[in-house]
Amino acid sequence: MTQVAFSAFGGGMSLWSHRIIVERRQWMTSESFVTGLTVARLFPGPNQINMSVYIGSIFQGLPGSLAAVAGIILFPFTLLMLLGLAYFQVSAIAEVNRLLAGLAAAAAGMALSMGFKILDVYRTDYLALAIAVIVFVCLQGFRFPLIPVVLVAGSLAMSLYWPRGQRR
Amino acid sequence: MTAIQTWLQVVLTFLKLSLFSIGGGNTLLQAYHHEAVETFGWLTNRQFSDLYGLAEAAPGPSSMFAGLLGLGAGWKHGPVWALITGYSAEIAILLPSTVVMLIASVYWNRWRDSPWRIAFERGLGPVTLGILFSVSVTILKTANHSLVAYALSFMVCFFALKTKISPLVFIAICGLAGVLGFVR
Repeated sequence: MTQVAFSAFGGGMSLWSHRIIVERRQWMTSESFVTGLTVARLFPGPNQINMSVYIGSIFQGLPGSLAAVAGIILFPFTLLMLLGLAYFQVSAIAEVNRLLAGLAAAAAGMALSMGFKILDVYRTDYLALAIAVIVFVCLQGFRFPLIPVVLVAGSLAMSLYWPRGQRR
Repeated sequence: MTAIQTWLQVVLTFLKLSLFSIGGGNTLLQAYHHEAVETFGWLTNRQFSDLYGLAEAAPGPSSMFAGLLGLGAGWKHGPVWALITGYSAEIAILLPSTVVMLIASVYWNRWRDSPWRIAFERGLGPVTLGILFSVSVTILKTANHSLVAYALSFMVCFFALKTKISPLVFIAICGLAGVLGFVR
């Protein structure tokens, strides 16, 4: 897991973990891996962390999951904490501030691109677009807090998308 | 405010938000900004966007920003408290969602025909979409203080969508532009 975490500079993590877990180590089938990705994306929590929980639980249940999460996050997180401490120590240095201003601009651009990527999936689904616009206006326009918006819009969206009549 | 009070404030805040981080980790950015800058004043606007850039550029899962915010909140009580609060913040943001994910890993296939599962799968996506765009606007406004910075962000967004260039390249170019003083 640590191996995956360090190869995961800025995304592409699921590709790497598939290569190591399914192809090289053969810990699980590709199908079971993809199911895991779907569940990891749907449920709250960071996708990669949720994926570790899923992979860990497949072998060892709770201890496996905890070990997997610790493995994927412990080293990178400790590194980040050290960088954070360094930031608060030296933030008076102008170059550091300028570097971070550049990094933040890049990060903001990447965050925006995520929205457009998902938008593409719903291009022809007007109900989905309407829900997204309402959520956007509530958060950005009216500045409602996230928790009530998710609770209300989430239940509304679930009832609108409730399967009717069709048998699978 | 004592160190313990700050710690408690941080841990409770992230425990509360954990289950609302749907669709990945980024959906919480706006809520983070609201709590860390506006409500509790753990960080300034500038520090928030600096740390966000740092978290995105560092290796590892992109969900470790909560820990950095905790670190920032604890910093005024010294580096040891900063680290304690940082690690605690990360555990707090991950714990509730990890427990739910564990349960889901075990039961998901058994719920195959449940209407709850179908409605959940279909309904959550559009909500996430709305949140992501709102979060993007907030982070654009927080991170960027000049037209050049906005232009860089929009260019990164465009090239991230239209090409397969690695995010590392964007980070390197924008970091360099920053050091050279183009981004204010």
